[in-house]
Amino acid sequence: MSSRGKHAAGRRAPTTSDPELIRQLAAGQVGALGELYDRHRTALRSFIGRATNDAHDVDDLVHATFLAVAESAQRYDGRDSCRPWLIGIAAQLLRRRRRALGRFVSVLTALRGSSRSASDPRSVLQARSEVERALAGLSEAKRITLLMAEVEGLSCEEIARALEIPIGTVWTRLHSARRELRQAVDIEGAREP
Amino acid sequence: MNAVCPRLFEVEALRDGRLTGAELVRSRNHLAACAVCAREARALQALAEALRSPMHGAEADELHVRRERTRLLAAFDASLLPAPGGLAQLHDRPRRATGWLRSAAAVALLSLLAALAFVLRPGRSASSRAPGAALVSAPEPVTIRADRSARWSRQVEAQLDKIVLESGALSVRVDHTTSQRRLLVILPDGELEDIGTIFSVSAEAGHTTRVTVQDGSVVLRLHGKPALALGAGDSWSPASSPAVPLLPATPPAPPARRNIKPTPSALSAPRRSTPDPDPSADFRAALLAFNSGDNSGAATSFAAFLGQYPGDARGEDAAYLRILALQRAGTPGTAQQAARDYLSRYPRGFRHAEVEALLR
Repeated sequence: MSSRGKHAAGRRAPTTSDPELIRQLAAGQVGALGELYDRHRTALRSFIGRATNDAHDVDDLVHATFLAVAESAQRYDGRDSCRPWLIGIAAQLLRRRRRALGRFVSVLTALRGSSRSASDPRSVLQARSEVERALAGLSEAKRITLLMAEVEGLSCEEIARALEIPIGTVWTRLHSARRELRQAVDIEGAREP
Repeated sequence: MNAVCPRLFEVEALRDGRLTGAELVRSRNHLAACAVCAREARALQALAEALRSPMHGAEADELHVRRERTRLLAAFDASLLPAPGGLAQLHDRPRRATGWLRSAAAVALLSLLAALAFVLRPGRSASSRAPGAALVSAPEPVTIRADRSARWSRQVEAQLDKIVLESGALSVRVDHTTSQRRLLVILPDGELEDIGTIFSVSAEAGHTTRVTVQDGSVVLRLHGKPALALGAGDSWSPASSPAVPLLPATPPAPPARRNIKPTPSALSAPRRSTPDPDPSADFRAALLAFNSGDNSGAATSFAAFLGQYPGDARGEDAAYLRILALQRAGTPGTAQQAARDYLSRYPRGFRHAEVEALLR
């Protein structure tokens, strides 16, 4: 286990297991979706809130993620916690949204003759802290990869599988994202203990 | 310190799980001995911890969470219900206002025609069988939406508002603060008592096929089966009955202790076997007291729930049901105090208009 894995461990054991709730959800029980929402909403909302630069999108993306979970419940692989699966679905939705938004902005840019990048976060930047600002300055692909690894505790293999990219790309994105963040933020952890 | 270690790159590789076997062991040993690499590891860890710290404005307020939860469950439930009849339209978002307005106009027209036919019909009675009706807005604070194939009737008495559903689907919204009548849905194979505000019920071929509660709570009593308490977000169908919370088969006598809890034998669902404190069990216990007519006990239990679990998503329901319990217990002064407490906790709560009306 990498040092990141410790962060994901040690959560309080839930009353009904995630696989059981997802089985109930696949059978159409709305209560199971409610319980999954109560259990994972905060983490999912936090992940999406950090991953996207548009705060107005967060609730819709959380909503869309849980509905996608309901649609895909039959295909759940049965792991103890469905949180990595939820995060993977959210990351996929973010990627699709980025592509759709990118196409839309490309058309607008062509029409207006603007040179502004589709992924430019400045127009919708909501971040306040130094780290949030630096994070918002990363490309969305790097930002999502970094958050999946460092905040959600997913392994590089899990990230590669969720984002459908080669594992080497995950490593590259992580390295690049960390380098950019460290250039932008004065991290104190480097001091001698 | 400007020292550089040629193996510095291994720190990140180690963190990302890129090293295995002997390489992994050698790297760990080196990390334990090299101050430069140890500092790099601490820097990467500090960066991760900074990322994990709560984001500004990341957490929504409780009311917002409740609304989003209701919206999600309504959307999911709508995806399960058949499209004709439009039950799914009940909780669509404002952004779908165009479609909703179109439906509302059609419903209003049908209601007008139905009302006209009702007024002109000779010898009308309290019973109003309405096959094919889409929406009936009763003079009482009860709104009933029926699908086109529903066969149902309604009888309003002094203390009881009785809806008889033979087949099809109904969606019902009740405001208990302005109606003192019990609302009972008579089903082909049992009955459903409303305690909350919004629910849907379907029946086919002499059997209840589905009950879904969007807000508040209901008690479902089917012949020969234990009563079921369904809260907001819960859904029941014949196949799912083992998974919902269970109540004793017959309405219990008023309990000696006020803070009652369902017995272990009555709570066979896995979720009920958790160690205390269990907010779900406590909420259900309060609901059970409320349903059994132990209004004072219910008010006490809901108050205890609010005190013990101030952040629980069911808090608003508990605060509201506490007011109803105190009203039913014949203590209007305490009910008004509870209403003020509700408004101070949830100034923009779902039922703030109803609760404010109590204080006028």
